[in-house]
Amino acid sequence: MPPFVSSEANGGLLQGQSNIVTIDVGGQLFQTTKQTLTSAGPKTFFSRIAQASSPHYAPFIDRDPEIFSILLSLLRTGNLPSKAKSFDLQDLILESQFYGIQNLLLNSLSSPSNFEPFNLHKSLLLPLNGRDSPSTLATTSYGSVHVAHGSKITTFDWSLRRKSTILTHFTAVDSLLALSPSLAAAGATDFSGLQILDLDKGHVRETLTWENVTRSGSTVQAIGSSPEELFVSFESSRRNSNTIVVYDLHSLKPVTEIAHNEIYGADIDSAIPATKLQWVQGYNLLMAAGSHSGPSGVAGNVRLWDVRSGNVVWEMQEKVDCFADVAVSDPLSVMFKVGVNSGEAFYIDLRNLSSGGNTSNTWVCLGDKRKVTNGKKEGIGCKVETQGNQVFSTKGGDVELWSEVVMGNKKVGETVSVEGGRIFKKNLMGRVQDMGGAKITNLAFGGSRMFLTRRDQHSVEVWQSSSREL
Amino acid sequence: MEAESTSQASAAPSEPQPSTERIKLNVGGKLFETTLSTIRTAGPDSLLFALSNRPANDPNPVFIDRDPEIFSVLLSLLRTNHIPSAARRFSTQELADEAAFYGIESLFRSAAAPPLFSGIDASIVKSISPASEGLPSTFSIADNGAVWIAHGGQISGYDWSLAHSGTVRTHLDEIDSICRVWPEIAAVGSESDAGLHFYDFSSSRHVGSVHWTDPSDPRIFKARVNAITASETSLFASFDCPHRENIVLEIDKERFQIVSQLGRQSGNQAKHMVPSKLTFVPATGVLVGTAVTSGAFGYSGYIRIWDPRSADVVWETNEPGAGRSSRFGDSFADVDVDVEGLSIFKLCSKSGDLGMADMRRLGDDPWVYLEEKNPSLANYGDEESNLLVHCCWGQVFVGRGGSLEVWSRVQGDGARSDGESGGKGLYRRNFVDKRSDSERGDIKKIEGGGDRLFVSREGVEGIEVWESSHSAGAVPVS
Repeated sequence: MPPFVSSEANGGLLQGQSNIVTIDVGGQLFQTTKQTLTSAGPKTFFSRIAQASSPHYAPFIDRDPEIFSILLSLLRTGNLPSKAKSFDLQDLILESQFYGIQNLLLNSLSSPSNFEPFNLHKSLLLPLNGRDSPSTLATTSYGSVHVAHGSKITTFDWSLRRKSTILTHFTAVDSLLALSPSLAAAGATDFSGLQILDLDKGHVRETLTWENVTRSGSTVQAIGSSPEELFVSFESSRRNSNTIVVYDLHSLKPVTEIAHNEIYGADIDSAIPATKLQWVQGYNLLMAAGSHSGPSGVAGNVRLWDVRSGNVVWEMQEKVDCFADVAVSDPLSVMFKVGVNSGEAFYIDLRNLSSGGNTSNTWVCLGDKRKVTNGKKEGIGCKVETQGNQVFSTKGGDVELWSEVVMGNKKVGETVSVEGGRIFKKNLMGRVQDMGGAKITNLAFGGSRMFLTRRDQHSVEVWQSSSREL
Repeated sequence: MEAESTSQASAAPSEPQPSTERIKLNVGGKLFETTLSTIRTAGPDSLLFALSNRPANDPNPVFIDRDPEIFSVLLSLLRTNHIPSAARRFSTQELADEAAFYGIESLFRSAAAPPLFSGIDASIVKSISPASEGLPSTFSIADNGAVWIAHGGQISGYDWSLAHSGTVRTHLDEIDSICRVWPEIAAVGSESDAGLHFYDFSSSRHVGSVHWTDPSDPRIFKARVNAITASETSLFASFDCPHRENIVLEIDKERFQIVSQLGRQSGNQAKHMVPSKLTFVPATGVLVGTAVTSGAFGYSGYIRIWDPRSADVVWETNEPGAGRSSRFGDSFADVDVDVEGLSIFKLCSKSGDLGMADMRRLGDDPWVYLEEKNPSLANYGDEESNLLVHCCWGQVFVGRGGSLEVWSRVQGDGARSDGESGGKGLYRRNFVDKRSDSERGDIKKIEGGGDRLFVSREGVEGIEVWESSHSAGAVPVS
């Protein structure tokens, strides 16, 4: 933060050399230092003000002085003063845009580094118009959220104060990925092609399709992205082939194709397209998981792909108690799943994965092991997502928060001795009145917030920590 | 906004602004300082602009004896073109009055207006209800969003901000059709009383009447008005006599006199009934009239297009027709004209489907039926008795019983504009309302104007106002 000004300079006698700047905003005088003003960054409105000022001349800015005083505090400390609560955030955002310091405001209010998993509580409902329940959610890292409901996509900005809605070609969007606050990739299992949608103007910027052998349409089963690449899991409309196409995220040109399967006969395993794609940055691998529900139960597979070579690095066939959902936590180096039959959580330590011997790796059950073989489908529809050092799984209308307990002087993620195993403990999130709502259908994280949607509810639930509440 | 900020940003610090450019204002004892360019955005006719023409370098602030807090809101509006949240402490009426005092009412109005109406993202914002006999018989919306509600023989007016502006009592017991002739003059008709009547809002009095008479035919008397519409210069009203003979009269808007007659018919058959809905299409200068009746054997009616200049029928269709239609037996229950898009929309009574006809290419069977692609919505439910269609802003609003839905066009695919899924033909159906809204009662009338949609319901007092909003409307969970 800006350095302190020496006391002599504050005396006013040495104003000639001092770096005190006087600004007249809408008739009210403010004094600050050049360092504070230039901390907004070079070539911004404030740095030019700092240059223009002289001891005998106070630059005049024709704006509201009260909001300026709040933004000046933000500039000085990096945080909003508490008196900002009496102003509407929308006014602050508009003024900060004028002064070119919206990033500071965004950082102080909605940075992902402020995510406090143990301090989240149900705080807001974002209502959706019309009669369609949300089908899927996508978030950006600074907390804006896109919600697909029916054929529409509604975008809430990072401050959750403004929204806009566009109409799409889809009857319902099944997979949605936010590429930027105004750009999203959308696909559906009953619609051919992946559409890159401009959410500001409401038009399709580009349609990406996969040319399959049978020349039928290509439906989208899952979308994922790494910092450089976009991964799309396609299945042909005739459901006899599937693939994962890797696109360059910026040019949207296809780079390579991995996991291409053509199905002949009754080979069930290759007929399962990936329905979840997650990039694992720490290992440079793509996690692709798919499952299939048949008369003999749910079967599926989880694979880790090396995208560059197009090889499977690790594979797990899921026959008994297949996953309902699976996710990788990069900081914990762990893969989590909820079993579809047992409804219990399982993990695999990624650090112990040996490339050759798949048999040595098995899921470690974090609950009642006896439920693994029960025929009930207790885990059906459960979601698993990871954010920071935590794993979140849903069970019915509740969210469970899994965290690793590190004993002794071991670091998080450090390999532990075989007998010990890693300790993961769960907590139910929320207060008593927040629990037991309708079944959770989607779970996503953005900025310092958690978003979830529930069955038959026409709104998005926002969980945030009270200290960061807007 | 963006351009303004950058130009100000580059101008303000680089060159020291001469003090003459600034102006000090003392509003009700509170000092404000701003620039002349900000003050001058108010426009040359405003009080603020007049203040900016004072002699330069006057050290004394200009004193204005008004409320300083409202002024600070309006000053923010001048600076940013955006109404700050501090305005919430004041009513729209207060702010509008104060804006009118400073002469910046149009600026305030454009900043306070709701954004473009989008049927896929609209919510009910309020209900306007007249104080007495609040069941609306009909209503009319001006382009700027001002509302006239006819209820129990009275007309209540509401201005663009939906504030009550006055009520006129007419001599009619029940007003069944109303049309805005001039901003202050309403043309009203009743199905129980003869003649078309003009009422002036500013003086709240009756200013004229038009009756359909025929000196050669003594049976033409006590003709009642069924529908009214207005063009730039004329008014069109359909009249029918107690013995069902009917006509459409063209009436001069200035003199309230009959100019010409078109479409006189006997009224003894469904296809000769009096038009119950008239729409003037300014782009082509034609008048579209429709009539629908329903009986034990279903719906029947006609759509007829007249050219008022020649008084000829340009095109017409009757349903149930002679089997020419691909949907025989599925005659329309309601029809509306998209005046800007030059299309006619009909709502089929049996299937519930929406048919569209391009007015530039009308033929024997011009109808294209809009498909519901979503199988979960395809079932329209039971055959509804109450079907309504209204076109506005290029969107088609449909009332089925109590539920309100919108058919809106999907923006074309940028990459392949005339592919089979792109192009302009793709309409999507969505519900505007929630299920709970539809339970309030059957929809009686839908009309849009001033980026608001107004809906009246059977047996419900007042009319609902729907708006789109960019505000997320987040609800805190207690």
